[in-house]
Amino acid sequence: MNTPQSVRKLKRDPGIVSRMYLTMLLIGVLYGIFGYVMLRLGVPVTFVAVIVLGLAIFQYFMSDRLVMMSTGAREVSEEEAPNLHAMIRELADRYGMPMPKVAIIESSMPNAFATGRNPDNALVAVTTGILQRLTRRELRAVLGHELAHVANRDMKVLAISNFFVTLTSFLMTMFFFNMLFGRRDSGGGSAPLLIAYMVTILVYFVGKLLVLALTRYREYGADHTGSEISGDPGGLADALEKIAMGMDYIPDEDLRRLQTAQAFLFAPALRGFAANMFSTHPPIEERIARLRDLEAEMRHGYRN
Amino acid sequence: MGWFLGRRKTTDTTWDSMSSVSRMINGFKRDGEAVSPRRNAGVVYRHDDGIPFMASLPEHLDGILYDGPSATKTGWEIKDDDHGMRWAILNDGNFQDLLSSIFTVSNAIKMNGGGQNLLAAVFEFDFTNHAVNHHAASGSGFVHAYLIYRFDRNAYYPFVPTGENAGERDRETERMLGTAVRSAGLKTENSLTEWLGLWGIPF
Repeated sequence: MNTPQSVRKLKRDPGIVSRMYLTMLLIGVLYGIFGYVMLRLGVPVTFVAVIVLGLAIFQYFMSDRLVMMSTGAREVSEEEAPNLHAMIRELADRYGMPMPKVAIIESSMPNAFATGRNPDNALVAVTTGILQRLTRRELRAVLGHELAHVANRDMKVLAISNFFVTLTSFLMTMFFFNMLFGRRDSGGGSAPLLIAYMVTILVYFVGKLLVLALTRYREYGADHTGSEISGDPGGLADALEKIAMGMDYIPDEDLRRLQTAQAFLFAPALRGFAANMFSTHPPIEERIARLRDLEAEMRHGYRN
Repeated sequence: MGWFLGRRKTTDTTWDSMSSVSRMINGFKRDGEAVSPRRNAGVVYRHDDGIPFMASLPEHLDGILYDGPSATKTGWEIKDDDHGMRWAILNDGNFQDLLSSIFTVSNAIKMNGGGQNLLAAVFEFDFTNHAVNHHAASGSGFVHAYLIYRFDRNAYYPFVPTGENAGERDRETERMLGTAVRSAGLKTENSLTEWLGLWGIPF
């Protein structure tokens, strides 16, 4: 995508980027080996793959309509929602991407999503709840994040990875019924089948974990690209604090308890390390922390 | 090389971060918002008789705050709170002097073996409602809030207690205030879970 000059490019976190590509590579290697093993064991994996691929392609091309049907999103015209349209158009123009379709979901849950197979067929949807709760600045930053999913072609990346997960889950079901009802005409016939079944279960879970990791990396990526699109990482961090974290994260504890505890528990040098290891650091908080770094970079040209 | 060396970290000094509170005041002024600091501020630390400087802090404070031509002549008192912590409470109508005295006192404690005992520096402010929330009508009153600077995090966060007991705080106002002070230039703690309270501030 040709990014216009007006958009301020932000530094990528090399750790996140390299881990994302490593995850994608692992997914490729995992399923490559899996396919090979299945073929060697005589499992008709090609046949199953064709069926699943057909379904996946159908889903991929219909994604915007399927998502609209399942969420009850209603496409709105420029006359119906002029402000929302204007806001999305400004962002899309800024980043040099085509104007997506715009939809609204009647729901008090504050949420937003993007879908569609490519930027020319994209849809950005928001709930009435998010429109009510966010300020203009926060909403604009959230829409930048959704447009970033479109610009980064996350629907395609995740459709391909999910295809493999669906394939293994299909095979798992197939093996299961085969073992229950299958004919056992030859004594040795079920051993490779059992191995194939075990391998499939393993690959299913490993693959699922990898795809989840990839989803998280794409989410960080969308925060990053979204910050470039809106030029406002702080607005997105504020929106996340407001809707995803709520106020519950501001603690009940007194600061002085930390000092007393620290005197007995950890050597001071260990505190940061131990605190990181044992804290339940929610991904939302990690996203906010990264966005605040980008905010500082944008404001002062450095990261804190 | 930078690709796998990871991202560059700039570590701001305590003074850079602590003094961002005056950058914040200027930031609000530039936007036409009235923000007024109060006369009192404090440093809270865990007292330890084994540290000679701490044991004789009162004598040192007079020297630190009153001797020399550039002395701020900031008023001071020492108080213990109900949590077993000690406070050096400073009083000065000139906020720049108050800020630099707070830094000087905490720095002296740090330089004399008490760095690990330092918990926080606390400033007290009145913000206009409009400065906190742009949707509020201007001239509709003030929000009284503390800004807590945590030495271990090297950053500030707002604290708006609603009572004396742990947990009693106005989280909604704190969150909005956090956005406002950050935009105005205050080095603000990013992680909300680190916004630990200080109930019963003794000034």
